[in-house]
Amino acid sequence: MSLETLLLLLAWGTLVGLDLVSVPQVMIARPIVAGPVAGAILGDPWTGFALGVLFELFQYDVLPVGAARYPEYGPATVAAVSAAHAAGGGGGEALGIGLGALVGLVTGMMGGTSMHLVRRLNARATHAANERLEAGDARVLVRLHLAGILRDATRAALVTALGLGLGQLARALVVGALTVRGVTLLDVAAVSAGIAAGAAGTLRLVGRGPGLRWFAAGVVGGAAVAWLR
Amino acid sequence: MTPALGKSLLRLFTVQGSYDYERMQGIGVGVAEEPLLRDLRAAANGGGGGAAYRAAVARSAHFFNAHPYLCGLAVGAAARAEHEGVPPAQVERLRAALCGPLGSLGDRLVWAGWLPLMSALALIGVALGGGWRAIIGFLALYNAGHVALRWWALRAGWAHGMGVAAALHQPVLQRAAALSGPAMALAVGAALPLAAQYLSGAFTGWSRGAVAVVAAGGFALLWWRRGKLTALRLGLALLAVAALAAGLWR
Repeated sequence: MSLETLLLLLAWGTLVGLDLVSVPQVMIARPIVAGPVAGAILGDPWTGFALGVLFELFQYDVLPVGAARYPEYGPATVAAVSAAHAAGGGGGEALGIGLGALVGLVTGMMGGTSMHLVRRLNARATHAANERLEAGDARVLVRLHLAGILRDATRAALVTALGLGLGQLARALVVGALTVRGVTLLDVAAVSAGIAAGAAGTLRLVGRGPGLRWFAAGVVGGAAVAWLR
Repeated sequence: MTPALGKSLLRLFTVQGSYDYERMQGIGVGVAEEPLLRDLRAAANGGGGGAAYRAAVARSAHFFNAHPYLCGLAVGAAARAEHEGVPPAQVERLRAALCGPLGSLGDRLVWAGWLPLMSALALIGVALGGGWRAIIGFLALYNAGHVALRWWALRAGWAHGMGVAAALHQPVLQRAAALSGPAMALAVGAALPLAAQYLSGAFTGWSRGAVAVVAAGGFALLWWRRGKLTALRLGLALLAVAALAAGLWR
């Protein structure tokens, strides 16, 4: 992977990480967007779409309500696509999906933890400026806010960089050591977990009320279309 | 749109930029409200001091937590109340009273309605071979609703001030909240088998059967241990087991 590609992935991962909570929440942070764009940067859109779909299913497990803590799947998907591309050679085969999922899930966990740390740092900065805030100093208010955004951007860049590094490390350590059957087992585990996560997450979202009938109708319709194709 | 409302709207897109566990969105809400309070500074300068402006700015940055897309309603309403000379304690009460309803409405309307609906349509689009058109369609449609909601919220808050509760009972909003649930359920239901087919398309023979069995088991585990077992942990656990099996089954 060239340095230019690596920097582009880092920039994309940072934007994606910033979008999730801070600015501007236009949902480029959703894996279904983050993955294909990362794939396009690598010249391997197939892997981008596949991991975008996989992590979008994982995303259904997350409901970002209030101060809830959750994994961050945006930069994680970027790292996952990079790892999968490196492992699979970008030939359109599914060989890298399992490895990509492994890297992405670990990166998602790190992303979630890092968001918690940034929120604590933000609280500390607000504490330090409390007196001037209570005096109604608008300049301090804006400065504090900009510093928070900068902190989140730095966090997103670091998480993406760690994820990309992890991808390279995993490729070096795992790929040569796995047989084709081993790679298939990893792929099976990743895809199964994604489908299970999507099914459980969406069912929890729908609940047991009247939406359940609509959900069931959707499943039947979707299955019919899948069968007919 | 007045320049102050425009600035406030732009700043609302960053409302969670300085999110913390104490004031939550307070600082971001204060930053978004500040352009709407500048008139108070000019008015107060005539009378001397700018104390009203500074006090309003300080109040605007206190604790606040609601759905980010609907924060504008509180921003507009509180700013309007400050202009109308409503007593500070009442402005604080208004902000506090809006947190719950705005959070609950936004969660129902966006996080559990519009977003999963659009995401499911994107998944269906990709699974059926729509590729980039599905992604661009997702971003365009989702954000048409997103930006409209942010703009409506700010304008409604600014127009209604202390009587902002009336805006929350608008029939359009209630109907949208009622419709988004079934639409989302139908779309995510349809997206699941199509996404599963898309992802398992590369598998053949035993691996296809294994995907079905492991996915069913994983779903049962997630459902049985909901609240305790997350999808991330399940995914990592399955990958660890697969890596172990790969080492043993050569």
